[in-house]
Amino acid sequence: MDILVFTTVVLPFLAAIALLLLRDKGSRSLVVVGAAVVLAAASLALVGQGSFEYSPKSLLGISLDGLIMLLDFALLIVILIMAVTKLKSTLVAALTAAQVVGLVYLEFFMGHGPAIAAPAMFADKLSLIMVLVISIVGSLICVYALGYMPEHEEHLHLAKSKQPRFFFFLVAFLGAMNGLVLANNLLWLYFFWEVTTFCSFMLIAHDGDETSVKNATRALWMNMTGGVAFVFALIFMQKSGVGLYLSELLKPGFSAAGAAAVIPLFMLCYAGITKSAQVPFQSWLTGAMVAPTPVSALLHSSTMVKAGVYLVLRLSPAYSGTMLSGMLAMFGAFTFLTTSALAVGQSNAKKVLAYSTIANLGLIIACAGINTPAAITAAIVIIIFHAVSKALMFLCVGTIEQKIHSRDLEDMRGLYMTMPKTTIVALIGVVTMLLPPFGVLLGKWMAIESAAAVKYMPVTIMLALGSGLTVMFWARWAGILLSTPYPKDVPAEPQPSTVRAPLVLLAYGAVLLSLFVPFLYGGLIEPAVRSSHKAAGYIMDSLNFVSAQGIFYIYPLFLVLGVGFYLAWKAARKVNPAECVGPYLCGAQATDDNKAFVSTGRANVGYQAGNFYLSWIFGEDRLSGPINMVSGVLLAVMLGLLLGGVI
Amino acid sequence: MGKLLLATIAVILAPVIGGLVAGLDRKCTAWLQSRVGPPILQPFYDVFKLLGKSPMMMNPWQILTVWVYLVSSMLTVFLFFLGSDLLLMFFVLTIGAVFFVMGALSTQSPYAQVGAQRELVTMLTYEPLIILVFVSIAMVTGSFKVSEVFTYGKPLLYQLPLMFVVLGYALTIKLRKSPFDISACHHAHQEIVRGVLTEYSGPQLALIEIAHWYDVVFVLGLCALFWATSFWGCAILLVVTYFAELVIDNVTARMTYKWMLKTVWGWGLALSVLNLLWLYAG
Repeated sequence: MDILVFTTVVLPFLAAIALLLLRDKGSRSLVVVGAAVVLAAASLALVGQGSFEYSPKSLLGISLDGLIMLLDFALLIVILIMAVTKLKSTLVAALTAAQVVGLVYLEFFMGHGPAIAAPAMFADKLSLIMVLVISIVGSLICVYALGYMPEHEEHLHLAKSKQPRFFFFLVAFLGAMNGLVLANNLLWLYFFWEVTTFCSFMLIAHDGDETSVKNATRALWMNMTGGVAFVFALIFMQKSGVGLYLSELLKPGFSAAGAAAVIPLFMLCYAGITKSAQVPFQSWLTGAMVAPTPVSALLHSSTMVKAGVYLVLRLSPAYSGTMLSGMLAMFGAFTFLTTSALAVGQSNAKKVLAYSTIANLGLIIACAGINTPAAITAAIVIIIFHAVSKALMFLCVGTIEQKIHSRDLEDMRGLYMTMPKTTIVALIGVVTMLLPPFGVLLGKWMAIESAAAVKYMPVTIMLALGSGLTVMFWARWAGILLSTPYPKDVPAEPQPSTVRAPLVLLAYGAVLLSLFVPFLYGGLIEPAVRSSHKAAGYIMDSLNFVSAQGIFYIYPLFLVLGVGFYLAWKAARKVNPAECVGPYLCGAQATDDNKAFVSTGRANVGYQAGNFYLSWIFGEDRLSGPINMVSGVLLAVMLGLLLGGVI
Repeated sequence: MGKLLLATIAVILAPVIGGLVAGLDRKCTAWLQSRVGPPILQPFYDVFKLLGKSPMMMNPWQILTVWVYLVSSMLTVFLFFLGSDLLLMFFVLTIGAVFFVMGALSTQSPYAQVGAQRELVTMLTYEPLIILVFVSIAMVTGSFKVSEVFTYGKPLLYQLPLMFVVLGYALTIKLRKSPFDISACHHAHQEIVRGVLTEYSGPQLALIEIAHWYDVVFVLGLCALFWATSFWGCAILLVVTYFAELVIDNVTARMTYKWMLKTVWGWGLALSVLNLLWLYAG
């Protein structure tokens, strides 16, 4: 047991240090691939072990509680020094100082209550699912980075490679995330939480240009507000004599203490909201795309942002039945709707992905707020499948960008002609994000039905509108990737194997995971929901998902749609190139490649068509201001109502 | 087993019904416009003629997407007559709609591109409304299953009168009737080339037409749910609804997509909220 925990949490840190010291390419590849394989295997073994509680007391003779406290202060001091010297950001400095003061007060000036016999770490099925997602998807992204980064640095013409530092933070990130989801001691959790904040700051700022540093600073201060809220939640709990352990919060009847109990919960949820870049904090995540693609993939799909929703979801039994729960549902649904709308208005592919990520995280938070077993099931399903599909999409966009030097959707027209394999993989990504019978949609189906079941009208309406918007931006992307004349002489697409392998594996993963979803549900998801909510959301009837409200067929759908798709594919393969013609241009085609038609006076007139981005309604400049205002008000109202309960 | 049989029969008969509806539609429109109009079976003649033509396309993706569109529409009808989950059907219907748009976008034709973009906006317009209609049905019957509507025992129209109007909006859009025939329409005088269908011809166009018939059967089926207690009540409701669609089609002209999005979302949401509030209070 301790060896597996050590492997998933501490080993990435050790590997990271090795990566920092070993500067040659060969050993870097060896360490990353080795760590990836070991980490994935260890996470699977950990799941095989099942749930556990574990209290490591010391590492090499040093007491762990003390060590973590020491590292906590060290980390905060480093950030403080950076904020004052390099960033010259009073805001970051103030927020960091507030945390230092809070921690000092907590550790040295507050009476520690009676010692509580709670394990420092515990893992139930939810934690294990998170460990799996982090260790497998995250590792694949790290492997991808091996192939991506040399090319990335080639464009920057660096005198000295910054890759060692980059991989140090990338791999350490995985360890911090695993520690975060396995921690039961809230002080430990807080430490890992801050490590992820710091890592993400360093990774966003990696290229070192002005924009990178500016966006990284924004990410830092937004996440730091969450950190401050976290510390205050801890102080609050200490004051009211609750032990600083997750398991204490999750004891039945905890929220019966009324608002005094709900306030720390709100603070922790607020920390989760900042970490998951929910509105009004969405700008840090959309700004994070200036970083190299592996960072975006890692932050946006499998790790950092998932930490926030993990915490909100983890605490869901504690605030079940309180006002906070309903408000979180509203807030999440609002984020889902508004960020989906913003995604429609974007032609920048990475921004579309970023907004779509925030929307999905909002959906997860909405599910946590709905807080029925069915909704919690939905949340977990979306966490898993979104991680895989979104990591895939990000890596695709990064690969495409290195080839065509643009991340604009309009420049991806007819990509199949230059990058056939990557295009197909990207299409798989889009389809698994958007359509049944794949996992993300199963989650969405569960979410809408559970919202309807509890009659949360505003939430349901927002989810319905958001779904429509989602279809719009995914469908058009898929369409223009295919926008080609008859594909003949499509060149083969050379790619380094460290790039190709993660892409292909994730594409297979997205499809196969959906294919095995009934077993995934029975083995992991249902036990996770049961352990927190004492009931299952769905019963399996011949491997279909059945609830009181409805039914979602898995294998019948796969069979019919699979056979249909296969036949369609065969019909398409039979196309005779001689039957293919150029587009209709309302005039005689002027050239062989159908790029123009003959107009009056024998003039050749070209043509161009673009997507509707509906910026008159969905443009960032139109929407961001009102969205930030409304969401800020929502958060303030939440806090106000809860505080009102105390006073 | 009986359900499966019924659903299978429905999938076989749906194109016949859909085609007949299309024929009657033309005949009635002609009557409204003081013309004689084509024979009732004209849509079938058209489709058979198209099927017999030699194929012409721009790339294989078009073939792929058309077939997927047809399969998903058939599956939607199948699930409906199986008495299955409405929301699931909606998602299956979305597969077809998405692939249809992808097919149009895969051509490089500027007309098809614009048509596809407009089709996306129409999808964006009607999809949330359909979900809300399903949610309201679930609020009344306590389930998303079609079979539960039949065991409910009272016509849904009594409790969801405004939702029926909301569904009417979606129906008008789905039938490609004015003023919402934005992406492709049957009236040559207000069409840029052929919108989203520009680059489809011959057998592919026939398949799209057949898939569209399936879709029509599905949305009419949804309307029928609002009076599921008696055959005649249901029949009268459908006839009246469809005739109203024809009248609307003939007295309005195509509007812009901006207008459609604003109007339909505005009215659709307002009516939905009113109706749901009334249910909630009731």
